[in-house]
Amino acid sequence: MSDGPAASARPAIQFAPEDDVPIRYMERTRAYYQALGFSPYRWAHFTDAPFTPLAVPLARARVAVITTAAPFQPEAGDQGPRAPYNAAAKFYQVYSAPVDSKPDLRISHVGYDRANTVPEDLDAYFPLTRLQEAVAAGRVGGLTPRFHGAPTNRSHRVTMETDAPELLRRCREDGTDAVVLVPS
Amino acid sequence: MGCARDIVEHCGVPRFVWSDFPLGNSAGRPFDAESQAWTLELALRLLEGAPAARTTVASPLRWTADPAWKHKYLDAGKLTPEDIAERRKEFDVVKAVAKAKREGA
Repeated sequence: MSDGPAASARPAIQFAPEDDVPIRYMERTRAYYQALGFSPYRWAHFTDAPFTPLAVPLARARVAVITTAAPFQPEAGDQGPRAPYNAAAKFYQVYSAPVDSKPDLRISHVGYDRANTVPEDLDAYFPLTRLQEAVAAGRVGGLTPRFHGAPTNRSHRVTMETDAPELLRRCREDGTDAVVLVPS
Repeated sequence: MGCARDIVEHCGVPRFVWSDFPLGNSAGRPFDAESQAWTLELALRLLEGAPAARTTVASPLRWTADPAWKHKYLDAGKLTPEDIAERRKEFDVVKAVAKAKREGA
């Protein structure tokens, strides 16, 4: 396995600019919505996170993808790469689609970074093509027959009590060994 | 695989590949299959070898050499009172649309 595309072209390590740090999204979002007069959102925060080691070698594992992107819905307004935030394109129930269906998934219902991102390349937010290549190369045993969509419901309760159990049920139905979750 | 380091680590997940890219590029740079393959490879290595929950790997890939892009997201500091009123109105419309959709779902 290589060291990645950066290895051969990586410049010598040097001091970085002071402000070149991970963006503080919670702080910035809180400040923005407080400026608009809204009370702050409470992000999910737990005392621990679950962990299960992979039970089979990855080269024999069946992997599922879960995305927050939405299938294009012709009746739901502008979902193009330059569309403003589109609440009508949001979905509120888990969906599934065949991995060999060449899906047309959009993220107009998500608060992605519209100042810097023009989502014209599905592969930049949905790694199905790259996963299929990894399977073809023998890196991953196989993909589940379906990928799944996770609603971006801001309710902790609905996410934990409805959406996550439904996603788990579908993953188990498909004989999933591991999931790659790719929020947008 | 994601781009918002603070939000994901605040929640806590089993394994996390963090790309220091603008939100919307969780799987790599657009139209750059090599960066996408590498970002996925980091995720696969985490599946194989993360020692415990909350393991984060920071992708070495940079969005651009100049980090100035990081200042643009939701910058409330530059909003005038008129901007705020307009965005507040837009948000109220969005909330109403979402409510109608949710209740009809």
